[in-house]
Amino acid sequence: MKNNLQNGLRPLLAILLPFYAAAAFAHAETGVAGGLVSGLLHPILGFDHLVAMVAVGLWGAQLGKPAIWLLPITFPIVMALGALAGVAGLPLPFVEIGIASSALVLGIMVALCLRPPFWAAAVLVGLFALFHGHAHGTELPSAVNPLAYGVGFVTSTGLLHLAGILIGVLVRWPAGDKLVRVCGVAVAAVGLLSLTLAFGPSA
Amino acid sequence: MKVPALVVAACLLGLSEPASAHLVSTRFGELYSGLMHPLTALQHLVPWLGLGLLGGLLGSHTSRWVLLAFPLSVGVGALLAGMLPAAAAIDHLNLFSFVLLGVLVALATRLNRPTFIGLAVIVGLSHGFANGTADLDGVPLLLYASGVLLAAYIVIATATAMTHMLSQRTAWGTIAARAAGSWIVAIGLVFSGYSLMSGLMSAGPVAAG
Repeated sequence: MKNNLQNGLRPLLAILLPFYAAAAFAHAETGVAGGLVSGLLHPILGFDHLVAMVAVGLWGAQLGKPAIWLLPITFPIVMALGALAGVAGLPLPFVEIGIASSALVLGIMVALCLRPPFWAAAVLVGLFALFHGHAHGTELPSAVNPLAYGVGFVTSTGLLHLAGILIGVLVRWPAGDKLVRVCGVAVAAVGLLSLTLAFGPSA
Repeated sequence: MKVPALVVAACLLGLSEPASAHLVSTRFGELYSGLMHPLTALQHLVPWLGLGLLGGLLGSHTSRWVLLAFPLSVGVGALLAGMLPAAAAIDHLNLFSFVLLGVLVALATRLNRPTFIGLAVIVGLSHGFANGTADLDGVPLLLYASGVLLAAYIVIATATAMTHMLSQRTAWGTIAARAAGSWIVAIGLVFSGYSLMSGLMSAGPVAAG
């Protein structure tokens, strides 16, 4: 009886144990492919980056024309200037706080559906873009192709804006408008959490 | 007398011709080499897409002749590269064109036909030259340049046609093209700045591809 139980458990253990295995990253990110992957993932893996990018699209959709397309056009250009500063090693104070604040402020803007003049919205988004760009530029891995990394993080950022705009299309319907504002609350909450962590003891 | 089947099979195997599965080993290999070079080098592909986006936004009347002028300029540039010494100024011009084309697309700048053709010819010559400078020793130059020319035609014709169609038939087509232009500006700024700052221009491998 005992032997039968052991015989039955062994294959089961053999099947279950591989699920505990961690992923092995045998290949370091290098070259064009490594640059693309690294650049594409950088804005997505940082949760505060991710929600702030989506919030730009959401806010643009709430503000309507021309902000719906001018904000996502302004952002990558200013972000590139920030990235250049990061690559050059120019210090930008409070980068992490700036990124967390961008999620908090943009989330509040979306949640309250605030409508400042377009120029003020563009300046605010541009200011935050500097912080995000600086972080991307600073963390450019030395082994990867810089052009591919640039293509990756700009494309990823643009697609996150697009995701925000597509969700923001829901503002045409009353229920959708509420849902978008709830998304704003969620973004602001992530921003607040990131801000708390940025001010925390490990910061 | 019956010859064993195994001996016949061995003899027939000896008569077989080599299979040229890889086109590089055939006489058209350099055509494919020239064709693939700009398509696998982002520093050429992205600005060319920018030129195509601009052409699509400007409409068929303005951009029709660029479909001919740009690939020819690229081909001439690649040919010139095989005859003239490499010049660092070409790499700088290519970096500048990267950003400039993105700005023109993002702003949806209305260029007239002569200006657009002139811009396409300058960009074509400069990028063609940069494509030609890469390892051309002992390469049949005309075949290689024809491949680069073909790549330029494929990229410019596809990007121009797609952009023109989308901007004419959809409300968001022009906006999408302008957003893509802003991405090109951003990528161009990062790459140009990085190249200039890290001295890659003098080393050449990234800039020349």
